[in-house]
Amino acid sequence: MITITPKRVFTVPVQAACISADVFAGKPLEEIKKLSITEGKETITLDDAFNITEDKTIETPNITLTGDFSKVKRIGQGMKTGEIIINGDAGMHTGEKLAGGKIIVNGNSGGWTGSEMKKGLIEIHGNSGDYTASPYRGTSTGMKGGVITIDGNVGTDVGCYLQGGIIRIKGSAGRYLGYHMLDGTIFVEKDCAIRAGACMTGGKIIINGTIELLMPTFTIDSIKPKVKIDATQNAQGPFYVFLGDIAERGTGKIFALKATNPAFKDYEKYL
Amino acid sequence: MTKIIKSVVCPICGCLCDDLEVTVENNEIIKMKNGCAVCEAKMVHGYKSEERILEPHIRKDGKLVPVSMDEAINKAAQILTDSKYPLLFGWTSSASETQHVGVELAEELGSALDNCCSVCHGPSVMATQEIGIPTATLGQIRHRADLIVYWACNPWSSHPRHVERYTAFTDGRFEKSEFKDYVQKLKAKASQKKVAATIRRTQVRYQPSRPQSATVEAPPQTLAKAGRKMIVFDVMKTMTAEVADYFVKVEPNRDYEIFGAMRCLVNDQELDVDSVGGIPVDYLKEIADVMVNAEFGAIFFGLGLTQSIGRFRNVELAIALTRDLNRKTKFVVSPMRGHFNVTGANTVFAWQTGYPFALDFSQGYPQYNPGEFTAIDLLRREDNDATLVISADPGAHFPKSALQNMMKYPLITINPDWNAISRLGDVVFPTQWCGIEQAGTAYRMDSVAISLKKVVEAPKGVPTDEEILRRILEKVRTIKAQKTTKENKEPQKEEAPKKRRLKPQEENVKAEGD
Repeated sequence: MITITPKRVFTVPVQAACISADVFAGKPLEEIKKLSITEGKETITLDDAFNITEDKTIETPNITLTGDFSKVKRIGQGMKTGEIIINGDAGMHTGEKLAGGKIIVNGNSGGWTGSEMKKGLIEIHGNSGDYTASPYRGTSTGMKGGVITIDGNVGTDVGCYLQGGIIRIKGSAGRYLGYHMLDGTIFVEKDCAIRAGACMTGGKIIINGTIELLMPTFTIDSIKPKVKIDATQNAQGPFYVFLGDIAERGTGKIFALKATNPAFKDYEKYL
Repeated sequence: MTKIIKSVVCPICGCLCDDLEVTVENNEIIKMKNGCAVCEAKMVHGYKSEERILEPHIRKDGKLVPVSMDEAINKAAQILTDSKYPLLFGWTSSASETQHVGVELAEELGSALDNCCSVCHGPSVMATQEIGIPTATLGQIRHRADLIVYWACNPWSSHPRHVERYTAFTDGRFEKSEFKDYVQKLKAKASQKKVAATIRRTQVRYQPSRPQSATVEAPPQTLAKAGRKMIVFDVMKTMTAEVADYFVKVEPNRDYEIFGAMRCLVNDQELDVDSVGGIPVDYLKEIADVMVNAEFGAIFFGLGLTQSIGRFRNVELAIALTRDLNRKTKFVVSPMRGHFNVTGANTVFAWQTGYPFALDFSQGYPQYNPGEFTAIDLLRREDNDATLVISADPGAHFPKSALQNMMKYPLITINPDWNAISRLGDVVFPTQWCGIEQAGTAYRMDSVAISLKKVVEAPKGVPTDEEILRRILEKVRTIKAQKTTKENKEPQKEEAPKKRRLKPQEENVKAEGD
């Protein structure tokens, strides 16, 4: 196991895509220390910014990061195997394009966490920023697979262009949840802000709390007693099921818990 | 000696009106024709104000002291090279030639580079990248459009000649001006008022006020008329709404829902709700009919869309609505850009780097991500350790938290007058007024390039911003070359980032920034 702690408080962003189990695998400690990162505009080595130690007796997790990493971007980018634990806050683009393995953040995580990920698991035991599991600007292929679980709240635009995989949010979700999603599942245990599922064409969003306002472009389909989250777990209802986004001729589904959404009673007349 | 200069271009808003007639006497503008009130305020009075910066200043012991140009250039170059991650911000009131040098400087420094569009129409650019944009030049709209929709903007105040020159009140080749209709409407309204007043005087002494049933008036029958029509969507009745054929009052922050509903209605789909954003769906159906029946429609949108909740997503749906309308008729959509060369900043940055704003050169190549590299986000996270502001005034417009972080580190400003940000600077450069004392290229809101004219001579010793940037760039290159030779001789010791000599000037920020 490689343990990394910051040597100082960073004033400018550090881009460290090399902090990844794949990159470290098979490299001796001296070589790892010489990997290059950037601090602001300056190119430095990993050793310049971090204290790095190796404990050969422990195999997993492969990398443990301890301290404030909120200014360190792109940790575990494109990782295929291995495990990273971050004991502290993680910066933007953590686990971007993840293709396997596991990242655990014992703190908050920045924007674009798990962006465009394909496989693997990201656990965030805090809040997560805007654009979690959403792709880069102008890209229309989002997260394709894997699981992201967030214990706290998430920001806006989470799960945009989602094409597969599961996002579980134990707190509340911001605006534009599942914007333009094509497939996959988003499960929110608490409330959800406006414009959930805007422009969605497939997939499902399950909301156990209150939806602030439903888009007028959704039409009621039915009331269902329960809904499948994944192969092993169901969410207990009853749920109002809305179809949409009809402006995009989509067939995505929003499941809103009946008990917490009395405002949707008006829709029952169309059933 | 008096001379009259014709076809002068106005350097104020994105309209770039190019028909001004300026009278110059003894190197001073004394009179102008054709300009709007905003233009006259700047070109006849504003540019020669007493608040003009005439020489470079450097902050010494907390006070701004006049220095020579060489000293100021050296100091600025030293700050920028010492900084680990500077931010270059502004650009929208400079000529495109200056913006071009700015990109070169940012690349040399490995800095962040952003322009004012990140706080105005940046979301429009982002929406265009997501979905594309069916648009037209203002000339085409002037000659052909029979339906003009102003959404969340008030050109009567912000772009005073937009309606008169490009849309409803201008005679195009194929569409006549709507001005006569407007005058008739005013006359009718006046006589209606007279009749109502007479009835009130003669018959009713006291009439209790009745609560209104809806905030939105029903669409008037005049919307079915042939020829030009104008519809305004806004949260309040502005001057533009007063001159429009129909004003639709929208609930604040509900534009996105309305666009979604309109798209469904244009595509002949039914909605499960009775009203959207405070507008009854029946009214929306009528508006959708008017839009579909137009021969050539144009939607202009303003900051009400780009800076309310949803931002670029609002614009994205406005463009999606235009796209849907284009299946049935001809429709175009265009942003109402603010500063006279903000479109130029996007255009120049895009052809130089591939990206229009929110740029980062720290990796040696351009990276783009609004939200990550936009000025306010960078400053609020305290990611930068030096700032250069050119032809902009974030001091008056940025949030307090962003400004407080900006003030913790050295600040260089390049502005013609003592605005809020110049007063807070560590190195303050004077510069010429672009479009009055300096010629150059600017891009109109529809991305048409127009040449700005030089009308009067600048005060002695005041250089152009392009010249200042070129000199800073040259100096930065020299310092970097010296550093490299030094490093080759002896290994460099790591230095802690230099904090500003002054304490964060919270009083100043409070007084001038909010």
